[in-house]
Amino acid sequence: MKNTKAMQKPVGQHEQRDPKVLLVRAGLAAIFLLGAALVFMGYRGRKLYESYGFAGGEGFQTIYQLSASVSEIWEGQVRKEIGKQTAEEQEKLHETAVLLLNELWEENSLNSSAGASAENVSEEGLSAENVSEEGLSAENVSGEGLSAENASGEGTSSENAPAASSLQPELLKDRDLSMKLLYTAYLVKGPKVSTSNRKKIQQADPEEAALLRQELLACALDDTRSTPSTVKKAVSKLEGTERTAMLMQAFFTSCNTDSQEKLTEQVNAFKKGVRGKEEQLEAFQMIAGGKMSWGWQLVISRSRTIILLGVLLMLDMALLTMFMASDRRWRFDAKWLLVLLIIDFLLVFQLLPLVYISARTLFPEGRLTFRILQRLFSYSLNREAVRNTLITAFSTMVLGTLIAFPLAFLVGRTNLYGRKFFRALFVLTYMVPPYVGAMAWLRLMNPNVGVINLWLRRILPIGNGPGPLNVYSVPGMIWVLTSFYYPYAFITISRAMEKMDPSLEDASRISGASPVKTIFKITLPLMMPSLLAGALLVFVAAASCYGIPSIIGKPGNVSTVTTRIVEYTALGQQGVNDAISLSVFLMAISLLILFISDVVLARRQYITVSGKSVSPSIVHLRSFRIPLTVAVSLFAVIMIVLPFATILTTSFKVDVGKSVLAAHNFTTQNWKIVFSRTETLSCLKNSLLFSAAAATAGILISCVMNYLMQRTRIRGRSIPNFLITLGSGTPSVVIALGLIMTMRGSFGINIYGTAYIMIVAYMIKYLMMGMRTVASAMSQIHVSLEECSQISGAGWLYTMRRITWPLISPSIAAGWFLIFIPCFYELSMTTLLYSSTTKTIGFELYEYWTFTSQPMSCAMAFGILLAVTFLNFLLAKLTGGKFSI
Amino acid sequence: MASVSIRNVTKAFGESVVIRNFNEEIQDGEFITFLGPSGCGKTTMLRIIAGFEKQTDGEVYIDGQLVSGKKTFVPPEKRGIGMVFQNYAVWPHMTVFENVAYPLTLRKTPKEEIRERVEKALELVHLSGHRDHLPARLSGGQQQRVALARALVAAPGLLLLDEPLSNLDAKLRESMRFEIKRIQKEMGITVVYVTHDQAEAMAMSDRIFVINRGVIQQAGTPEEIYNEPVNQFVADFLGKVDFFKGEAQDDRITFPGMGGQSLPYQGERRGKVDVAIRPENLFFSQDGPLSGVLETQFYMGDVDDCRVRVGDTLVRVIAEGFAYRSLKEGQEVRLGVRDLMVFEDNGMLEEMLRIRT
Repeated sequence: MKNTKAMQKPVGQHEQRDPKVLLVRAGLAAIFLLGAALVFMGYRGRKLYESYGFAGGEGFQTIYQLSASVSEIWEGQVRKEIGKQTAEEQEKLHETAVLLLNELWEENSLNSSAGASAENVSEEGLSAENVSEEGLSAENVSGEGLSAENASGEGTSSENAPAASSLQPELLKDRDLSMKLLYTAYLVKGPKVSTSNRKKIQQADPEEAALLRQELLACALDDTRSTPSTVKKAVSKLEGTERTAMLMQAFFTSCNTDSQEKLTEQVNAFKKGVRGKEEQLEAFQMIAGGKMSWGWQLVISRSRTIILLGVLLMLDMALLTMFMASDRRWRFDAKWLLVLLIIDFLLVFQLLPLVYISARTLFPEGRLTFRILQRLFSYSLNREAVRNTLITAFSTMVLGTLIAFPLAFLVGRTNLYGRKFFRALFVLTYMVPPYVGAMAWLRLMNPNVGVINLWLRRILPIGNGPGPLNVYSVPGMIWVLTSFYYPYAFITISRAMEKMDPSLEDASRISGASPVKTIFKITLPLMMPSLLAGALLVFVAAASCYGIPSIIGKPGNVSTVTTRIVEYTALGQQGVNDAISLSVFLMAISLLILFISDVVLARRQYITVSGKSVSPSIVHLRSFRIPLTVAVSLFAVIMIVLPFATILTTSFKVDVGKSVLAAHNFTTQNWKIVFSRTETLSCLKNSLLFSAAAATAGILISCVMNYLMQRTRIRGRSIPNFLITLGSGTPSVVIALGLIMTMRGSFGINIYGTAYIMIVAYMIKYLMMGMRTVASAMSQIHVSLEECSQISGAGWLYTMRRITWPLISPSIAAGWFLIFIPCFYELSMTTLLYSSTTKTIGFELYEYWTFTSQPMSCAMAFGILLAVTFLNFLLAKLTGGKFSI
Repeated sequence: MASVSIRNVTKAFGESVVIRNFNEEIQDGEFITFLGPSGCGKTTMLRIIAGFEKQTDGEVYIDGQLVSGKKTFVPPEKRGIGMVFQNYAVWPHMTVFENVAYPLTLRKTPKEEIRERVEKALELVHLSGHRDHLPARLSGGQQQRVALARALVAAPGLLLLDEPLSNLDAKLRESMRFEIKRIQKEMGITVVYVTHDQAEAMAMSDRIFVINRGVIQQAGTPEEIYNEPVNQFVADFLGKVDFFKGEAQDDRITFPGMGGQSLPYQGERRGKVDVAIRPENLFFSQDGPLSGVLETQFYMGDVDDCRVRVGDTLVRVIAEGFAYRSLKEGQEVRLGVRDLMVFEDNGMLEEMLRIRT
C-alpha cells in the first residue's frame, strides 16, 4: 500500500506541471465560457427582442430583411435623385417628408382632421416647420396615450412594449433619414400604386426614368404643376397631401428598378410579423436608422437558438471534462465528439420534449402538484378511457401470453409438422401495421354485415338480428389487439426457449420427471422472467397503440387514452394541455413497466445459455402430432389467413356489404384509382423518403454507438444507450406530442410541420431496432479479430473496411430494414405531426378508410402488406436468412 | 449394480450415420470410458443409453431388461439412471439442496428421508456447507459436484457422465478425476464415462472403448489399448507416436525414408507396413541400430525432447533428462528401439489420422 502511494504521488505532481494538460484544461474552460457567453448573449437578445415588442412571430428577421432592401434602393437611386435637387428644393422636400410622416401616424389618432391641417401647412410653407414641430410634440403625447390604448385594447401583441415609442426627433431632423423613414413607411403602409401603374413607372428606360423621377418630385413639391401622363390617372382625383403622398409613392416606386417580387415578399412578411402600430413605428425607425449590426440582428432574431446552443455547449464541455478526467493525461479522443453529438441530439429531440411535457403537467406553477391530473380524471370520459386502456392492455397481455407460450413451445421445441413455416408466419404478423388488422377484423366481425357474424347467424339459431359478435366493443378490441400483439410475446419467448440449455431439461428427465412435469417444474420456472418480460412488452404495446382503437374504438364509442390524446390535441389550447397531461400519465405507466421488465426482471434472468451451441432437444408429440398440427393450422387460418384474405377481397369489391363473387361486385377499379392518384403517390414518396432518412440516420447512430460501447472504454458511452431505450419505450403519441410542444420555436428550433419533425420522431421511436441488431452482431465478433488485423499491420480504417464491415454488414442491412419497415407504415405519430405536404401512406390509408372508401383503403393496405412482405423477403435473402422478422 | 448390453446399435441422422453397429457388454460395477475425437458418436451412444435419442436399429438392455428396441422404448425418466452433463445443467432457480433433492421429490420419498439422503450425497461431494446457496454463487467445479450429487442421490445402478470435467480448469480436473473414481468405488456403481481426453480415460477406466467415426476401434483395459493398439488410429489417439513407412521382409523392416536403414522384426507381417514408434521407446545408445544426426533438443527437466534426422526422416526421441548434458546439436548419434508397433500399410494412414482432435 505504502509503495503504491509513493509511486502515485510523483506522477500526480508531474501531471500538474504538464503544460499539455493545462492547455487542454484551459481549452475546455474556454469553450465552456464560450457556451456561457452564448447563453448570456442569447438572454440579452431575448430581452431586447421582448423590449421591442416582437415577442411573438418572426418580426425581427423581417425588419432586417426589409432594412437591407431599403438601404440598397436608397443608396442606388433615391439619394441620387434627391441630390439633383437644389438646396431649397431639398429643404422643402424634407419638410414635406416630415409632414407626410406625421400625418401617417396621426391617422385615426388624436387629430382626426389631419388632411385639413396638412393642407394649411402646405399653403403656408414658412410655418410648416413650426407646425410639424408642434405636431411632433403632440405626437409625443399622443404616443403615450396610444400605447396605453394599445395595452388595454390589443393587449396580446405588445404586452412587453416599452413606454411610448414615437417619431424620434433626431431622425426627423436629418434630411436623409427622414426621407428614408418615409420611404420605408410607404413601402408598407403608403398609398397603393396599382400594378399597371407600377409597371408603367418602372418600365421606362433609364434616361426617361430619371426625367420621370425629377418630374414626380417637382410635382410633389408643387401642387399646381401638372402631373406626368404616367401617373395622371392615379392622382387625378386626389388633392392636397393625398396627392403629394401619391406622387412621393410613385417616385419611390420608380426608384426601385429591380426585384419587385422580393420586396413585395419582404413587405408581406413584415406586415405579418410586425402587427401593432407602435411596433411598426419602432420597426420603421430601426430600418431607416439602420442602427444595429448584423451580429446583433442575429442575436436578437435567433436568441432562443443561441441560448440552446450555449446550454448544449456548456453541457458538452462539462461531460467532456468528466470523460477526460478519467484519463490522467487528459488525452483528447475524437470519438468523444461523436458521443457528444449523439447525446445532444437525443437530449434536444427526446429528453427535452419528454421533460417539458412532464414538467408542464406536474409542475405547472413551479412546484409539484397533481391538480391537473386530478381535474383530468374528474371527467368520466377520461376515467373511462383509462379504464378501457388498462382493461384492454391487461387482457391482451394475458391472452397474448397464453397464446404465445404454447405456440412458441410447439413451434420451437416439438416435431410439429411445418414448424419452420409456422414460425415464419407468426413472426411475420409482427411486421403488419396494426390498423390493417383492425380493418380486417372490422370487416369480419361487424355486428351487422361482418362475415363471421353472417356465418354464425346461418349456423346458430339466433335469428337475424345484429351480432352475435361485435367488434365495436371492449372485448372486440381485446381480440384485435391480441391478434396483433401476441407475436411480441411469441418472439420474446421463442428466443428465450432457443437459448435455453437443453441439458437442464434432460437433467430433469433423467432424474425421473416426465416431459410434462419437466415443462412445469423446469422449463416454465426458467422461462418465467422472459415470459413476464414478453407479457409486459405486450401490455405496453397494447396500451400505447393508437391505430387499432382509432379504427375500432371510435365507431363503437370505446375510447382509450391514446385516442383521447389525439382527440384533445384537436381542441385548441386547453385541449392540448389536457392531451399533454394524459400523455404524461401514459408515459409514466409505460416507463414504469419497462423499468420493471428491464431492471428488475433482467436481474433475475438466469444465465442458461450454454457454452456449446446446442440445438434444443425436440419433444416428440407422437400421437398428438397430427391433432396439434391441425390446431396450429386452424389458429393460423383464423389469425392470419382470414384477416388478410378479407383485406384482399374487400379491395376488389364495389359494394362492401356483398360478397366479392356476387354479380357485378368485382372490380379492379379500386386498385387502379388508388395507385394512380398523384396524392397517393406523393404520400408513398414521402413515406419512402422519411423512413429511408430515419433508417439511414438511425443505423449510423446505431453503428457508432455500438462501436463505442463494445470496442472502447470511453466514459459516458452508455448514456445514449439509456436514452435510446427510453425513447423506444415511450408511447408514439407521447413522443409526437412532446415534439409538437417543443419544436415550434420556443426552444430555438422550429421544425413543426416539416419533414424533419417526422423523421426525428421516427428515429426516436425505432432507433432501438437498429441498436439491438447491430449490438448482437458486434458482440459476436470477438475483439481479437480486429486486434489480429491490427497486429498484422493494418490501420484502424483498413481493419474496419476489411474485417469489421464485411462481418457486420448483413446485420447493418437488417437493422436498416428493421427501422425502415415500421416507419414506412407508421400512423400514430404521423397523425399528430403531418402537414399538408408531409402526409404519409399510413396516414393516407387511414383517411381513405375513415372518409373515402373502405375498398380503396383495403387496396392500399394490401399494397403495404405486399411491400412489407417483400422487404422482409429481401432482408432474408440479403442476410442469408440470418435476419428477418 | 447394473449391466448394460448394447446390441447392433446403429444411429443415423438422415443420411449421415453416426453410430455403426455398436456391440458391447458392460459388466456390473465396471467403469467404462467412451474415448474418441469430437463428433465420433460417443455422446450420441451415451444419450441412446440414457434414452434421449433413439437408435435407428438395434437394442439396448439395462440389467437384462430391454429398454430400447424396435417396439419398446422406456423414456429416460423410467430408466433409473443418474447422469451428469458437460455444462453442469444445475437448475439456476433452485438452491443446491432443491437441486439434489429433485430426483427424490419426484419419487415421493418422505421428507425426512430426502433430507438425510441429500445431506449424505452433499457430504459425498464435499458440498455440505452450500446446501442453501443458489447455483449462481458456486464455482464451476462446485456446480459440477452438485450435478454429481444430484445424479447419485437416488442411488442409481448406472451413472452416465458426459464429458463432465471438460469445462473445468486443469488442476480441478485432475482432482475431480480421483473424486469420481473414489465415489464409484464407494458406491460400487456402474459408470459410463464419455471423454476425448485420453489421460482422463487412462486414469479412471476399467475398460476403454476407443471410438472413431461411429465405430468401436478397440475395447480393452488402458494397458492393452496403449501397448497393443489394434490399428494406427488407436495407436495415434493414445499417447505420442510417430509413423514410418517400411518394408517388412525376412526378419527385418527396412525404411526407405531413412536411407534404407532397418530394424530387426520378429512379427508375422510382410510387405508394406506402417511402423509406429512412441518417442519414449527410442533411446540414445552407442550400438543402436539406427544412426542419424541430432538436430534439436528441448530440455524439459524430467525429459530431453530431441529431434534426430535419420536419412530424410525426422524422428522424435524423448530421452531421460540427463541426456541433455552429454549431447550436442549436430552431433552424430545412434538410436536404440525398445518397442515398436507394426501395422499393415492399407494406404489409410493419412485418412485415419486426419480427423483427430
